Amino acid sequence: MSGADFLNLVISALLLAGVYAAMAVGMTIIYGVMKIVNLAHAGFLMLGAYFVYELYERGGVDPLLGVVLAFPVFFLFGVGLHRGLIRRLPVSDQPTLASLLLLFGLWLVLQNLGYLVWGNADRAILTPRTLSVLRLGPITIPTVRLVVFGGAAASLAALELVLHRTWFGRAVRALMQNRDAGRLVGVDVESTARVAFGVGIAFAGAAGGMLAMLYSFSPDFGSPFLLRAFVIIVLGGLESFAGVAAGALVLALIETFSIQVVPASYQPAIAFSLLVVALAVLPGGLAGLWARRRRWA
Amino acid sequence: MSMRRFASSLAVPALAVAAAATVLMLGLLAPARPARAAAAAAGPADIPVGVVLPISGREAKPGQYQREGIELAIHEINQAGGIAVKQLGKKLLLREVFYDDGSDQAKSSGLVERAMTADGVIAVLGGYSTALGEAESVMPDRYQTPWITTGAAATTIFSHGYQWIFGTLSPTDLLGYTTAEFLGSLVNAGKLHKGLKLALALENTDHGIDYEKGIAKWNQEHPGYFTVVFSEKFDLGATDFSGLLQKIKTSHADIFLADAHLQDYITMHRQYVQSGMYHQMISYGARGPESDARKALGDATNYIFAGIWWSGKLPYPQAKKFIASYQAFTGHPPDSWYPATAYDATRALAMAIEHAGKLDKTAIRDQLRTVVLKDSLLPGQVLRFGKNGQVDIPFVIVQNQPGGKVEIVFPKDAATGQAIAPQPH
Repeated sequence: MSGADFLNLVISALLLAGVYAAMAVGMTIIYGVMKIVNLAHAGFLMLGAYFVYELYERGGVDPLLGVVLAFPVFFLFGVGLHRGLIRRLPVSDQPTLASLLLLFGLWLVLQNLGYLVWGNADRAILTPRTLSVLRLGPITIPTVRLVVFGGAAASLAALELVLHRTWFGRAVRALMQNRDAGRLVGVDVESTARVAFGVGIAFAGAAGGMLAMLYSFSPDFGSPFLLRAFVIIVLGGLESFAGVAAGALVLALIETFSIQVVPASYQPAIAFSLLVVALAVLPGGLAGLWARRRRWA
Repeated sequence: MSMRRFASSLAVPALAVAAAATVLMLGLLAPARPARAAAAAAGPADIPVGVVLPISGREAKPGQYQREGIELAIHEINQAGGIAVKQLGKKLLLREVFYDDGSDQAKSSGLVERAMTADGVIAVLGGYSTALGEAESVMPDRYQTPWITTGAAATTIFSHGYQWIFGTLSPTDLLGYTTAEFLGSLVNAGKLHKGLKLALALENTDHGIDYEKGIAKWNQEHPGYFTVVFSEKFDLGATDFSGLLQKIKTSHADIFLADAHLQDYITMHRQYVQSGMYHQMISYGARGPESDARKALGDATNYIFAGIWWSGKLPYPQAKKFIASYQAFTGHPPDSWYPATAYDATRALAMAIEHAGKLDKTAIRDQLRTVVLKDSLLPGQVLRFGKNGQVDIPFVIVQNQPGGKVEIVFPKDAATGQAIAPQPH
């Protein structure tokens, strides 16, 4: 492999990591605050993809603007869903069977709604930037991947600001650390959970829109990304945003480079293997490993 | 009163009521007996034909096109009065018993079983794609019911010695062979250089294996033309091929040949273009001219060539008539080859039933073995099943050209245009 090929692979992994992080962060917020594993995440990714597609096809709205619009729309959808369904789930410090079943059922409902509305044909968003390439000497960067990476990085930076500069952000972080302690210091658990769920769904919808700019999609869209989101949040330590970024980078690097030595048909096994290894060797994820190293130091 | 005594006191009246009910039921059923016997004596009212295809899931589009081909043939046969069944002394209409397998292998074989047993169909048509066709192919011999696959071409399906299976797609190794032969003809014409390097990306099924075998066979027979420098399999339905494409890029091949399904072709080629890759010639096996690909990728599909089982460009009068009828029946023109092989499979089955002269499955199977469809839509215009049940009809190579045009570019005697090779950078 030449130096240019290697550099191309590194850039490709970095760009992929950005999208992966945006895709997984919504799941982390919801799990962190509510201890709910959002199995319907794939359904919201799919809806986000169709949302951006419809805006583009019907209204000629640029997909990137569609992604921005997806944030408030899916936020409201998430808040509504929380009011109607999620808040009825039993409160627990561990994921409950009821929450898993409810959200799995919701995923199936969303998927079938997708079939009902859009049918089974694959759709794709084709804009002038979809197929254009940026060439920097021997390095080639797909423009659309660069744009999507920019969108993902901006949304993650905005989230980071919200989490560290606002009362809501502090409340979210407090609940992620200790729900009871958060309540004792005056955090409104119910409304924080509702907003956090809305933010989680907003990120899922927006990430779906970003993925729609890269891949073709159908109502089945989302399942392979759900597995990757699991791997990322387990690698990241389930409740850490920095961990999500690190997990996304590790997964993207391993996927991109391992495929050079492992046949492509084994690609799905890479994510599975990583999930098993993370659960067995790094139960606290990379964030846990980092915290342990700091304690030892 | 104890419960036991209470129950025994009810036993006699209950028995009496049950006996009366039985007598009444028998009385009600009695007049139906002669009617049913009369109906049986008159014979069946129609000919049920099972059709199992994916019209949902990832193979939905091709499955839908194949269903339309079958339904058009059934419609035309029924419009003409149906099929003459000599033994019954009358014409019977074909009745479609349709099941959507959702592109799922287990469901597909289960539905074929259901059609052959519970529905009592006379034959089953369908089995689009190698994976689904393979799943279905175990049922016909078990239930001794003829099965004609309209969309599965892998040779393994026909190599088990099954006696009840037939297929209207030529084997996939012939597709690989014809693809290499076409590229060889471009070398001979001076459009490509000798000794070019090939990169192969193959679907991880028997279809992919056969495709590779076909290319290897031609290369062996024609040394010096091409060298395979990369060959790897990929899983159908993957969302991300960037890793595989990166490997292909680093192999520095001159020609890229993939064997892919429609959705994989669209996803892979999208990422291919996004990666800024270039090869002198590109093919996705039997996929290329589909309108869905044009819609999803626009001009990026230009110059892709495909080996297909039928093209609307074939200069046969029956092909022109089929295109017009299909357009009128479905409201859209045929998209690639999909409906044509299904249409001819249905016509071959109808001919076999008529030749058998009775609705006996063994007789129909025996007639399918010898049936010759002389006005076939497929290349060569004659459809007959080989000893193993599969047809052996030549492929045509088509190439997408600018302006939304699709031209037959090989073989020469069927060509409607010149191949553009190498494709412009």
